[in-house]
Amino acid sequence: MKIAAPNQPTEVASPSLEGFEIMRRPFVGFGLLMSSVIGTLVVLIYFGAWASSNRIENRAYAAGTTESQIDGEWWEDGLVFVCPLH
Amino acid sequence: MRNAALWLDKRFGLEEHTIAHYAWVIVAIAGVVQMVGAAIRMAFGVLVYPLVEAFGWSPGSIGFAYALMSIVTALSSPMAGYLGNRFGARRTMITGTGLFFIGMMWTSQTKEIWELYVAYGIIFGVSQALLLVPVVPAVASWFRRHLGLGTGIMMVSWSLGPALVVQALAVLFATVGWSQAFVIVGVVGTGTLMIILLFFRNTPEEAGKIAYGTHRTDNPLITSGKVFISTQKEFQSYVYKTNAFWNLINIHFLGCVGHAVILVGIIPLGISKGLGPLTAAGVLTTISVVSVATRFAAPVLSERISAKSVMFFSFFGQGVGVFLLLTANSTLDFYIFAVVWAIPYGGEGTAFPVMIRKYFGHTPMGTTYGWQLLGAGLGMALGGLIPGMVFDITGGYTWAIVLSAAFSIAGAGAIVLLENTRQQLIPNWPEMEQKSTELLETATVDLKRAESHNTSGD
Repeated sequence: MKIAAPNQPTEVASPSLEGFEIMRRPFVGFGLLMSSVIGTLVVLIYFGAWASSNRIENRAYAAGTTESQIDGEWWEDGLVFVCPLH
Repeated sequence: MRNAALWLDKRFGLEEHTIAHYAWVIVAIAGVVQMVGAAIRMAFGVLVYPLVEAFGWSPGSIGFAYALMSIVTALSSPMAGYLGNRFGARRTMITGTGLFFIGMMWTSQTKEIWELYVAYGIIFGVSQALLLVPVVPAVASWFRRHLGLGTGIMMVSWSLGPALVVQALAVLFATVGWSQAFVIVGVVGTGTLMIILLFFRNTPEEAGKIAYGTHRTDNPLITSGKVFISTQKEFQSYVYKTNAFWNLINIHFLGCVGHAVILVGIIPLGISKGLGPLTAAGVLTTISVVSVATRFAAPVLSERISAKSVMFFSFFGQGVGVFLLLTANSTLDFYIFAVVWAIPYGGEGTAFPVMIRKYFGHTPMGTTYGWQLLGAGLGMALGGLIPGMVFDITGGYTWAIVLSAAFSIAGAGAIVLLENTRQQLIPNWPEMEQKSTELLETATVDLKRAESHNTSGD
């Protein structure tokens, strides 16, 4: 079924690469990508911690106790611990 | 009349086009692959209720299978792109078809939740990447010029596929049950893919043809042999050193978060504002249908004018457009939003192959495109989480809308920082030094056919 392309070179090196070099590092592009990753994590942690503290608060209210006496899920405690604003 | 037609041909560059080229067969195959590959993914919402009813699993635990599939697809995308470059898109897609069949059959027989996670989340997730990633670079290799046109036509299937298939699946689920529906879709989908892949060729050279848009003065590009592999590695190492490579992953991620929030949240938001479920679903369908126009137009315009400008306005429009939802309270408001927002949304994701071609020339784009789909997939997974999470916290969707806008506008800002697309960032992909007699003859015949096609008839 496969038709091989005729006259395809197999051993020669590409002449267009001779002497070509990219000296600069992609700081801008990589930096922007990392900024987005960090920004996204910040958003996730903030909203996740907000949701977690709401859930703990609701359970405490339902049980008629204080939030400190309620055991949160591991991920709820983790998010509240990591977020400096909650 | 004849003069007017010739003037139009020249004015719009139509004399360079012909419908009698195998590249269009490849585009059609790519469209079908995307439709079949993405059908079950898009129709997941239809699956949730039957599974809750049959097994008593919670919607959240079933939804985790979808999130797992999205993440697995995203993480396997760079590898799928590399495999497409290294072993050919056809072989990679055949492997993907095999996994698609296994995933569908296993999902149909699922009895435990972990089986759903493995069959749908992991196996089906990998098959999605193997089917959907290599096909776009393969289409690109069939277009020496006019890639925007080829990409635009192919990308239309992104909208039409789900719009058609989701309805068909809903009917199938209701008539034969979810398990039988998976068996039927698995068998029919696998059969369809296997048949159309018989006609698929990775490159024009493999089919003994020339790429669409090849001029008489163009030498054929190197597409096989040892030097193809080694040069690919060398060129890809240069691609990694450019800002554009990393920034395009970032841009795709930001754009996908921006629209995933809306695509996942629009129905619950509409219902919370008093729309009926069917009316709210109609808003989503309207977005799908209207976006077809810009899915096609964005890559075409990107090639003809400035890719950066087209992408900037798409991202910016997507970001600013969502603010219409802050004041939307009636059915009319939601449908106006659907029409207005779908225009930039449609253009947001389809110009990436053209952008890659502009920056990296004819270097095989599988790996680069795979990395971009990693960003896109993670963005879709994250964006899908935001509406539910925000609603749980605040009891409304205002913050989700604001976050959607922020991510899209941040993407527009990142586009401004991209390099100018007029300048290719790495050297030209090597051409064969001597033309193959056979290829030259084919090229001449094709060009003569195109010329006679365009000049005949008044």
